Amino acid sequence: MGVAPALAWTIALSGGGAALAHAVERGLRRTMPDVDPGPAAPVQIGVERAPAQTDPWFYSAAPAIALFGVALALVVIPFGGQLVGADLEVGAFYYLVVLDFVSLAIALGGWGANTPDAVEACYRAVAQLVAYVVPLGLAVIGPLMMARTLSTVAIVEAQHRAGLWYVVAQPVGFALYIATGAMQGYRAPFTEPFASQIHGGVLAAYGGAQALVWRVALSALLFTIAAMGAVLFLGGYAGPIGGPIGMGLKTLGVLVLIVLAGRFFRARSTAETLALSWKVLVPVGLLNVGLVGSLILLGVGQSAFR
Amino acid sequence: MEIAPALQIVLFAVFAAISVLGALGMATTMSMFRSGVFLMASFFGVAALFLLLLADLLSLLQVMMYLGGMLVMILFMVLFSSDPGGSMMAGMMTMTRVEKAFSRGLSRPSPMATPHGAGGGMDMAAGHDMSMTTPARKWARHFGWAVAVVLSGALVLRPVARATERALPDPRSPERIGDLLMGKYMIAFEGAGLLILLGIFGAVLLARPSERPDPEDRGHLRAAVDAPPPPPEEG
Amino acid sequence: MSAVPLSAYLVVGALLFAIGLYAIVAQRTAVMVLMGIEVVLNAVGLNMVAFWRFLRPDDYSAQIFVIAIVTIGAIEMAVGLALMMLIYRSQRTVKVDDFEELRG
Repeated sequence: MGVAPALAWTIALSGGGAALAHAVERGLRRTMPDVDPGPAAPVQIGVERAPAQTDPWFYSAAPAIALFGVALALVVIPFGGQLVGADLEVGAFYYLVVLDFVSLAIALGGWGANTPDAVEACYRAVAQLVAYVVPLGLAVIGPLMMARTLSTVAIVEAQHRAGLWYVVAQPVGFALYIATGAMQGYRAPFTEPFASQIHGGVLAAYGGAQALVWRVALSALLFTIAAMGAVLFLGGYAGPIGGPIGMGLKTLGVLVLIVLAGRFFRARSTAETLALSWKVLVPVGLLNVGLVGSLILLGVGQSAFR
Repeated sequence: MEIAPALQIVLFAVFAAISVLGALGMATTMSMFRSGVFLMASFFGVAALFLLLLADLLSLLQVMMYLGGMLVMILFMVLFSSDPGGSMMAGMMTMTRVEKAFSRGLSRPSPMATPHGAGGGMDMAAGHDMSMTTPARKWARHFGWAVAVVLSGALVLRPVARATERALPDPRSPERIGDLLMGKYMIAFEGAGLLILLGIFGAVLLARPSERPDPEDRGHLRAAVDAPPPPPEEG
Repeated sequence: MSAVPLSAYLVVGALLFAIGLYAIVAQRTAVMVLMGIEVVLNAVGLNMVAFWRFLRPDDYSAQIFVIAIVTIGAIEMAVGLALMMLIYRSQRTVKVDDFEELRG
């Protein structure tokens, strides 16, 4: 796509994705009344908040950086062979890097707002970044190894030519992706940076238009994580359920899975999240890489390359 | 991706300015948090320069490593310094023009709100020198200027004559780097892995709770960490 | 063809190096000194990639070198922060002027 169509497509996708994720979470909220809503908590867009003694540079930049990071990540998610903002050679790696900007935005906004709750949210968000980034990388590496490429379009094509959705070959990797996706999106059970105990953390310090930007960014974040999961593990826009509609349905499925899977676990504190990441998720991830390597040597999913 | 030459020069100027101003801001601002963020911005500027130099994997690697690394470094600074937000120092120190530019917005004349973190730090003894820089700063500034002028002058007056530009590099950089890492530089790769492992061991070992008794005021912090999290509030 | 000459990138590297040196020498806290070291390493990396692009774009060894620089810089920062934390526990200070125990 050219620059202008890609820009329009990314904006449309961010808005549409945010609306979809928001609607799904609102709908599923009724089935999980006692789960901490985290970033999906209702935001008062009508109220203007102006905390005293903010760091003006950080406080105003934070929501924009969050939305920017999510929009940049949506550029590489393909909804069709040509329906992608830009098919980067290093698409999957770029996706991993760019979504870290959301954690940066929460840290900046939390510190900039200079209220005790917001600064607490800043610390928790940085700790959660440290917790999710290594297991997420290990989960994503499985499909990258099987598809032998970093480009998102090429990963979908590889699954299509091999006639195999990678979730079938790597169920452990998929489960790991769902878990770290919940960590990355601050959804249950990893909602500590946005817990109701600290009144929503960063969200409590913002009102008006900036609160709307936060809401769009956080909902679109969940949509992006689900879309990437569909691309990596469920065959994206290819396969029996294909095209943009199929991709949308798969994204919806992964979204619902991430939200519903959280209801079975109580909310984890930040220290517990870090311990879980270090003691459980990283070893499972390494095991997954070993498993996938063995499967590749046995020829699973490699009919695309014969 | 072909970029027009005029656009290349503009992009280079913008990102070079971000890199240099970011590093300058890191060295001169009164707020330690801002210092960390300025350093992050400088690294992102250099990553953009890497993109202009057609090293895409390397630029992404740079962003990923330093985003996470700087955030954690900032967290450490906040834990161990007495005025991480800089508003106390910005309020009471006489700053040079550069420092004032990078510390704008930090100090407010409001008497009620407490500045970031100040007063909670450990070494707030009366009469303590709160400056961010050592006494060597006076000649360090001249030293820095001297190095910058000498190096830039040498580069401008005697340009690198042999810099004839060859063909464009291979765009499939992940494949090429992967081949090299697994082939020619396997020892370096494994050595780096071993070094990382030793670094992890060392850091965890050094930061273990020690036999020394914790300071008195850390008792309640330790108890708060060990206690189970309270249940979420209703409503 | 790159419109920006090699010398331009090297000048940026030189400026970053000088600022990093200033930060290492003039900053008072151990963490700020570590950050100055990171700036210096970054300047070196920029020089390496610039030379790679203009002189030897077919040999990717330069990028491997930069990966090694970034990795080792990260490890050194981690261990440095752990050491700083240990010194803080025993000395209750992070100012480098006060780290005087080895002074003869």
